[in-house]
Amino acid sequence: MTFDYHEPTSVREAIELSARFGGDGRFLAGGTDLMVQIHRGRLNPRHVVSLQCVPGLDGIEVDGAVRLGARVTHRRLESAEAFQGALRGLAEGAEVVGGHQVRNVATVGGNIVNASPAADVVVVLLALDATLTCLGPAGERTVALDGFATAPGVTGLRPNELLTRASFPRLAPRSATVFLKAGRRRAMEISIACVAARVTLDDLERCQDVRIALGAVAPTAIRARAAERHLEARPLTDGLMRETGRIAAAECRPIGDVRASARYRALLVATLVPRALARCLERIKLGAP
Amino acid sequence: MDAPGKVTGTALYAADFALPGMLYGKVLRSSEPHARLVRIDAGRAARLPGVRAVITAADVPDVRYGGSVKDERVFARDRIRFAGQPLAAVAATSPDAAAAALTAIEVVCEPLRPVFDVAAALAPGAPLVHDAWASYTALPILHRDGNVCNRARIVVGDVERGFVEADRVFENRFTTSSVHQGYTEPRAAVAQWDSSGQVTVWSNTQLPFEIQTTLAEILQLPPSKVRVIVPGIGGGFGGKLRIGVEHFAALLAMKTGRPVKVMTTSEEELTAAYARQPATVAVKTGVTNDGRLTAREARLWFDTGAFAGSGPGVASVATLMLAGPYRIPNLLLEGFAVYTNKTNFGSFRAPSGPQANFAVESQMDIIADALGLDPLELRLKNIVREGEEGPTGQVLTAVGLEECLRRAADAIGWRDRRPEVGRGKGIACGWWTTTGGSSGVYVKVNPDGTVALNTGAAEIGTAALTGAAQVLAEDLGVQMADINVVSADTLSTPFDFGAQGSRTAFAVGNACRAAVADLKRQILALASKHLGVEESALALREGSVVGAGKRATLGELARISQASGGGLIAHGTFVAPPTPYDTKRVEGHVYPAFHSPSFHAHATDLSVDAETGEITIHRYVVAQDVGFAMNPAAIEGQIEGGVAQGLGQALSEEIVYENGRVLNANLTDYKMPTARDVPRVESILVQHPSLVGPFGAKGVGEPPNIEPPAAIANAVASATGVRITSLPITAEKVALALRERAK
Repeated sequence: MTFDYHEPTSVREAIELSARFGGDGRFLAGGTDLMVQIHRGRLNPRHVVSLQCVPGLDGIEVDGAVRLGARVTHRRLESAEAFQGALRGLAEGAEVVGGHQVRNVATVGGNIVNASPAADVVVVLLALDATLTCLGPAGERTVALDGFATAPGVTGLRPNELLTRASFPRLAPRSATVFLKAGRRRAMEISIACVAARVTLDDLERCQDVRIALGAVAPTAIRARAAERHLEARPLTDGLMRETGRIAAAECRPIGDVRASARYRALLVATLVPRALARCLERIKLGAP
Repeated sequence: MDAPGKVTGTALYAADFALPGMLYGKVLRSSEPHARLVRIDAGRAARLPGVRAVITAADVPDVRYGGSVKDERVFARDRIRFAGQPLAAVAATSPDAAAAALTAIEVVCEPLRPVFDVAAALAPGAPLVHDAWASYTALPILHRDGNVCNRARIVVGDVERGFVEADRVFENRFTTSSVHQGYTEPRAAVAQWDSSGQVTVWSNTQLPFEIQTTLAEILQLPPSKVRVIVPGIGGGFGGKLRIGVEHFAALLAMKTGRPVKVMTTSEEELTAAYARQPATVAVKTGVTNDGRLTAREARLWFDTGAFAGSGPGVASVATLMLAGPYRIPNLLLEGFAVYTNKTNFGSFRAPSGPQANFAVESQMDIIADALGLDPLELRLKNIVREGEEGPTGQVLTAVGLEECLRRAADAIGWRDRRPEVGRGKGIACGWWTTTGGSSGVYVKVNPDGTVALNTGAAEIGTAALTGAAQVLAEDLGVQMADINVVSADTLSTPFDFGAQGSRTAFAVGNACRAAVADLKRQILALASKHLGVEESALALREGSVVGAGKRATLGELARISQASGGGLIAHGTFVAPPTPYDTKRVEGHVYPAFHSPSFHAHATDLSVDAETGEITIHRYVVAQDVGFAMNPAAIEGQIEGGVAQGLGQALSEEIVYENGRVLNANLTDYKMPTARDVPRVESILVQHPSLVGPFGAKGVGEPPNIEPPAAIANAVASATGVRITSLPITAEKVALALRERAK
């Protein structure tokens, strides 16, 4: 395990270095995935380009939209004031990742480009309709997070491109977000299934806008679109929420592995989806004037 | 005594140990579980940069070693018996260079038909893991046959008659998974040879004297040419009893002429260490309608892996655990250690205890439910009492079990066993040994009045040597702060049977008492002469000898003795007196009676999520008969740690095998509980003094690890009505069982 370590001080310099190294280079943010993969011999980059000293990548901006710099850590998502209200689901997704040491360094950008199907924060961002800003030698482009990951560890990021931020629109009034996760232990745990829900209710208590995203039950984090459609313009009754859970369970494509069986993963989706919806409802009611 | 250094990070461990010019060793391990080794070619690896030596079976003496059966070699010679078996070792100037060299070693082998579990190993016509088993040197007492490297048996009365006397007979089967000890510090050793042909090995072993003997056997040297020193141990729990990496370090150091350090990775720990044996347990128990146990026939099969290791002994202990702490007039109990193509599973804190207890104590609740009895009452009706016999006829004394059961039940609020839907309480009890074996100490009074305790035992982190020092301080009338401990060096410290079996504070403490008795005679004789006062008028008090209005400090007397007679020094020894038992009741048994047994009960209160199966533990109570609580804070620490480890085995931990290969050989997927998973553990120290232990103490380190799986299983059954008969009791198993029942 040997590589040259580079510490550029601007985005431009980082991209130049990346263009120079091509397939031999990797960006380093928190390193909680990259270093493990290098250590286990799965990746062997000759050049590691640290983003540590690149300015402008660690902001949390909230105005018309919410913008998260790629280097924003899980710890900051957990503790940001902006994510204690209707966006609480984002803090909930962040605070269950790894342990304190991991969350102190692990970043939003790293979580997205690592493209694990079990990436907790990615599941919440999917439910928030997040878009990604990628900067490369040819300039900047914006792509949807949904569909960005195409397989475990594979994304639509182009060679030499740097993911600089994730953005999502602010929530309408009467909205809430919730994240729920199941695993074998309460910390240092990779989800065996996780669910993020975002609900906006209209004045008649009907679902005006709903997103349901699922983690660890398909090759990538996915949206449960049939389940979302099932709720359109309907009030969230217990029966409807349970039905929606069953629909989500039917549209996920889990595998069985050493962490859990496919059957249990689907069962968890059927259970966690209605719980997440019910909690959204509860939060909207609590938050309503 | 060792706590401040460990808490502040200044304590030295074997993994920290380094010498100038030291090389780093790595071990090439087989990826095949069962194969004929055709060829191994290290030529290319040896020429890589930084590589100083590559050794294979061809470079080491052809020796088979092992404690009870000599069936293991340093490297596979012609036959590979498990995925993870050492094939070669490399010494290089950096760990990376050594790791790179491993990938350059060419191995050619032809796969053989494997046996991956006990059922396959015992099937008619199963391949033999050791074709030549019958020719191996082994303890003559063992009952060996093909893939069975020991069958230990206890027979009492007539079980068939007992089943006829019973109103109901219950038959249940249980399985447990392999779990790793989870010590924080991997196994590590540094070896260095000197010009006299002596090798010194610094290792984190629990048993320096056993490692010395095994190394001497492997290296074909007299034991006096092998010196083993334990600089510190970052946790062992039985996983560091047998040889780990010491032999690789010694052999590579011999070949290179330089010190060599070898340390395992997490992957090696989870594939090729001495994790707890997976077990299958079949228990058949006869009982009258009013809840009196009339007979038990039980068999426990351990998967011991490719080598016998601790298996034959642990299978023996298992039979005592299958009886449980119960009075059952008719018993037929068998423990089997069975060879398979897996790593050599070994000893783990209370070896055999959790597996057998999970089965027996789960069945006690099954019986209670079926008979409509309270599980606590069923236990109280059948537990052993003071003066009664254990399963092999040993007479039991200092039996604090009823008090343990009653106090644990009271503390958990047993009267309200199912306080709400999905919530339930469970209880389990058991017994355990305080392992015997001998301990020697030297105790020396220094000229400044401090005292040196020299012991062959290693401080494994249980505060056992703190306990021994407390005994010494109490008897000699000095302060704890005045005692310094020198330990675990086979050249300079007296023999000790080692940090195992909950024995260290017990045995070293008693050896200290013997040494102080001798030392007191020397001190009083000298003081009498010096002070001119009759010995009978003198007493030791607060670091001085006082009497007839006169006083001499221990320092003063040590200085006088050094000037005139070589110093105040005493040798104390202890060996646990044999526990008489009925030899006619046992066969193939290497552990027929429990010395100074301890008794314990665990109770827990938990909730089960009816949909996800997730278990939330509200309270966990342990009532343990410790004989005499020498150091209550340290004992509570042992109980809390033992329960945390036991809950891991109960709920989340398992080494998962598929076709002989480990699927989760990393700490991401091997799930030890975190601080957020372990509830506060409430300890109740019950004290029925043992006749032998120092001040009545009994062994305390292992027992807290025994009952958690059964206590959890019983509480889950109480909460849900679903009985899980395999470990770990994961949320998945519970959820799917609840779903099956709903159908």
